[in-house]
Formats: sequence, structure tokens, C-alpha cells
Amino acid sequence: MQHHAVDRSLVRGDSRRPTGCRRARFATVVVVPLLVAGVSCTSTEGGGERARSVPIKSSKAVGATVGPRGEKPTPTSALTLTPAEVATVRAGRYTAALAWHENSDFTTAVTAGARDEFRQLGIEVIAETSANFDPAKQKSDIETMEALEPSVLLTLPVDDVITAPAYKALARQGTKIVLLSTLPRGMRYGRDYVNLVTDDLFEMGKRAADALAAAVGNQGTIADFFHDAEHYVTNERDEAFLQTITTNYPKIDVVAKQGIADPNSSLDEANAVLLAHPHVSGIYVTFSQPPAEGVLAALHANGNTTTKLVSLDLDEPLALDMAKGGATFALIADKPYDLGQAMAKSAAYGLLDKSAPAFVVGPAMTITKANLVEGYRESLRENPPASVMKALGK
Amino acid sequence: MRDPRRPVVYVAFALIFAFFALTLHDDGFLSRTNLVNIVRQTTPVTVMAVAVVFVFSAGEIDLSIGSVVALSALATADVMQTHSAVLAVAAGLGVGIGVGIVNGLFVTMLRLPSFLVTLATMGVVAGLARSITNLESVAVESSSFIKLFGSGDVGPIPGLAFWAAGTVAIGYFVFGHTRFGAHVLATGDNAGAARVAGIRVDRVKFGVLVLSGGAAAVAGILYTGRLQGASYTVGDQALLTVIAAVVLGGTSLFGGKGSVIGALFGSLIMGVLTNGLILWGLSASEQLIAQGVLLLLAISLTMRVPRDELR
Repeated sequence: MQHHAVDRSLVRGDSRRPTGCRRARFATVVVVPLLVAGVSCTSTEGGGERARSVPIKSSKAVGATVGPRGEKPTPTSALTLTPAEVATVRAGRYTAALAWHENSDFTTAVTAGARDEFRQLGIEVIAETSANFDPAKQKSDIETMEALEPSVLLTLPVDDVITAPAYKALARQGTKIVLLSTLPRGMRYGRDYVNLVTDDLFEMGKRAADALAAAVGNQGTIADFFHDAEHYVTNERDEAFLQTITTNYPKIDVVAKQGIADPNSSLDEANAVLLAHPHVSGIYVTFSQPPAEGVLAALHANGNTTTKLVSLDLDEPLALDMAKGGATFALIADKPYDLGQAMAKSAAYGLLDKSAPAFVVGPAMTITKANLVEGYRESLRENPPASVMKALGK
Repeated sequence: MRDPRRPVVYVAFALIFAFFALTLHDDGFLSRTNLVNIVRQTTPVTVMAVAVVFVFSAGEIDLSIGSVVALSALATADVMQTHSAVLAVAAGLGVGIGVGIVNGLFVTMLRLPSFLVTLATMGVVAGLARSITNLESVAVESSSFIKLFGSGDVGPIPGLAFWAAGTVAIGYFVFGHTRFGAHVLATGDNAGAARVAGIRVDRVKFGVLVLSGGAAAVAGILYTGRLQGASYTVGDQALLTVIAAVVLGGTSLFGGKGSVIGALFGSLIMGVLTNGLILWGLSASEQLIAQGVLLLLAISLTMRVPRDELR
């Protein structure tokens, strides 16, 4: 989903990035021309033949998704309301506001899930905003919503540092806040917010590892394009991928670990890695749009028809490539509609003063060419784009 | 240089305000909290709009203000981690004025168009804002800073209102009642004629660009106080909002005509539109469409050239 792809204001740096970034630039500007000039024999991988893919199998879990403060995960399916509780909420004639960080297919699906669940609960949605990643806009949005005195607020905070005061002020007014993906600093569970809902991040990373292992026939060389920024969602997924690959697949060698600090510059970084490792069997990319699109473009530009690609989140260019039997072997997707439903249910927990699990995780799924249509329908609750359907001959 | 059509912006504001007041009277639009929020939300835009009136009136443009907001905000918050608030504010202001000086020097000494110069500095400054804190947001804890620049109130009036009022008052005085203001208008109206008349046109252009850099820095500092911290995405939306506010207020994009009070009302129109459309319960996409349509209506009211002027 795009929320991971372009969630740039959630992205915070760490000390590794400038070095990694400079190194990548250096590689692109200085090393690449040298390599192009005939140093391609430096490749450590031989061959260049397409690795023989095998069916995807789920390997053993070597970790689990934990909350930003070490909270244990509870699946979205564990949230339940009795008919009596639903009746109580319905009788309350409550109102809800939705404050998202951006406007994308992800927030659209989350909103659809939340609105459908709110309808069942008799809760009226009275306001919806998109901050376009600007924390000042999100603060203004939340302040404006204060005038409406919503009973509940579902939100994805643009920033985990500077949005907290606005949320705390709303919580003091009595609004029950349910958070998606990001937990602003200093907010206390139960007092300032009902709970935090997010994807099963470890499961997504593990599924990516299992899929890429299958793509390369459980052996060979792979490159790991991780998100080189301090961002809870992508960091957890990338770490789960690497942990699973290195622990469960000893015959797979991670020959390149390339950080992507600026998601829009992945093409340069992919070119540099592909020049150093032209026959790498598989590539993992932290998320699809735009970095995996950049990596795919680099594969095409380099005339590479053997390397397999696995990334996270559904995305049209990658899905189309998959449908055409190209490099994209699998995409791991979440179910944002389910996240929206879980958030609305959590809001009802808050209104009922029923203790809600602090950290709720939504399911993940592996989408390959075989289940591409069903994948779209299950993940986004919509049909694949026309281009993908055409490529599939449907 | 008075514009006979200028009062129309007040009519547009009154109409939009009355429209939302009537349709949203049950939804808290007229509540004190909401009106105070509108003032708080529009203040940084108003501060920048006042300076941009000078820039446009002189026939120039400054595209770098949005990224200056972010860099100044980050510089202020970052310096405050280890130094006093006074030094932090000086750093924030220094950044804005510094960028203004660079813009001014390129425009006047190399005779380059301000559109291209500020387009380039916009990129440089945005890149610097991303790199100085590694894309990390910086929190501010100094309560005196937060009160003075963001969240404080003086009695029932939000502190930010004083910043807006102060900037508008100074801007109004300088624009309408000083030699500099007159020179700005003369430069924008006809730079050649102004030069012949003995006006130091380059000095005027340099001055307005430094002014807009400084105003963007003040806006960045106000955002820092309001958000109790800074991030490189602060001010992302500011540039287009400021331009819309200034033009709605009757200032010509092509120089020679401007209104500081008009810019204040333009800024308030933008703020009321955003606020009212959220309270209306429109989805995010519907808000964008409605905002565009209402803006078109407002522009048609305030900027339509009367038929007799076309002859």
C-alpha cells in the first residue's frame, strides 16, 4: 500500500543513512561508469541462468510482530462485540472523525472498512481529512474536528514526534482515539488512546522471505534493498525478511544489502547493485511504490530477464509485470479494509470502556500470478486494474 | 496605486463566512474555539502573505518560502536542543534572511529571473532541511518559547493573533506610507521608468526578497511553537496557499499593484474554506474539489477585470 511507500514524514533517519547514501551516490557517479567501462568481470556470481522456482512453503517463524513499546500482538479477528454491546453503542448515537496522513488506495480501503463497521454500530462519520504529510495541516485538521466534538477519532499520525500534543488535547476533551501504524511519543495507552492497529509486520517480512526463497529454488544469491530510515513499519518488515532468510534458508547468500533512503532514487541504487552483481538470483525490495518499481525498471534497463523480484504491497506496474510472467514473482499484501473494520471495532471498545488489546495486528497474504485477481479482491476489495486483467487474459 | 476593485475581497470573505455560519451553525463553526483555531491556523500564512505582497508588487516572485519555512523551523528546534531559545530564534531567522540574501544577490547582481533563482534555492533549501536532521522530527520543550510563538493566549485572544496583527500593521504602514513601499510599487509597475526616476530598482528587488525570506523564517518559527517541534515536511502546503491568499487579496502577479489588508482577508478566506469544508463532513477528495470550485468563485468575484478597463 502506498502508505508505506510514500509515508515520508514518518520516516526518521539514523546514523547509517548519510554514509550509505553517500556511498550509493559515489557508486552511481564514480563507480558505475568504471564498471560500464569493462569491469563487469568483478561479479561474484556465475551463471546468469534463470533459477528454478519451487512452490512457496511457510517456514518456521523466527520472531513475531511486537508493538513499538514491546506490546504483544492480538489478531484483528480477536476483536469481538456481543449483540448487547452493539446495541449499547447504537443507542449512544455516537459520532466519528477520520484524520489520515494522505489520500491513497490504502486510506480509501481503511476508510471503507471503518465506515461499513461504523454503519453496523450506528456511529455517524462526521468528518474526514487528509494531511498530505504536512504535520501542521494535520494539527489544524484535528483542531477543526474539535469543534464537532466527535466521540471517536480514527487516525494515522503524520509524525510521531510533533503530532502528540494535538491528539492529547482531543483525548482530554473525551474523544476516544484509535491509532493506525504510528504511536506518537508520550501518548499513554488507555488514557490518551484506545489502542494501536497495524499490519502483522513480521508475518509480512517472513512471507516475503519464503516467497523469494521459493522464487530462487531455495538456493543462490539475493540482494536486499531495505528502507534505510527509522520507520517502524518498514524496519520491522525488513528485519523479519532478513532474519527469516538468514535463519531458515542457509543455501541462500545475501550478496548485497542496499539501503534506500530516498524511495524515489531506487533506480540509481539498483543500477549500482546490478552492475556489481549482474547475475543475482533474487531481489527483495522493502516496498513496491516507488522503490520496487525503480528496481524493476533497472532490471529492464540492464536487459536482465533472470532475476526474480519480491516486494511488499500491491502496485499496478509490478502486478502487470507479474501477470506477464516477468521478474516480479510475488507481492506480499496487507488487508487495509480489515484494518479499518478493526479500528472501528476498537473505537466501540473505547466507547464501552471495555479493555481493548493495546496492539492489534491485521493479516497478511502472499500474492502470485496464480491468485492475483483474488489477491486484489481480498486485499483492496476491488478488481485488479484493467491492464492487469488484460495481461491475464480475463 | 489604489485598486477600485479591492473591497470585493472583503465581500467575498463576508459571503463565504456567512455561508458557513448559516449552514454550519449547529456544528460549532461559530464557536469561540473554532474561530480562535481559524486565526491560529492562518497566522503563519498571513505573515508570509504580507511579505509576498511586497514581492509581487515589485514584479518578482519567491518560490522558496515553503522550504525556508521547514529549514527555519528545523534550525530553530535543533539549536534549542542545546542552546537558549533566543539563540534558536536567531538561527531560524538567520536561515530565512540568509536565503533571502542569496535570492536577492542572484536576482540583482546576475540579473536572473526570480522565478528561476527561487525555484533553484527551493530545491537546495528543501534538500538541506531533509539532511540536517536526517529526516528526523525535532521536539521543542521550552514552555516559554511555545507560549510566545504558538500556543499562548493573552486573555481570550490567541497569542498568534498578535503576530498576525503586528505583521499586517507593519506591512500596511511600510507598504502604504513609506518611501520604500512607493518604490516597490513603482518598480513593479515599470522598472525602467522607476530607474529613470532615480529609484534604485536593484536595491528594492533585493529588499523584497530578503523580506520574504525573513517572513518565511518567522512563519517557520511560529509553526515550531504551534506544533511544539519541527519536521522537514512543515510548510509543504504553504507556498500555494500564500500565493492564492495574496492574489485573492487584489495583489497583481505582474507587479505594480498590491494590498496588505487584502492579503490578510485572502488568508482568512483560505483558512475559513478549509475549516468549513471539514466541518461540512466532506471526504478528503470532495474537500479538494469544493475548495477549488469555491476558490474559482472567489477569484471570479475579486479579480474579474471590468469591461470598461478592457477597452
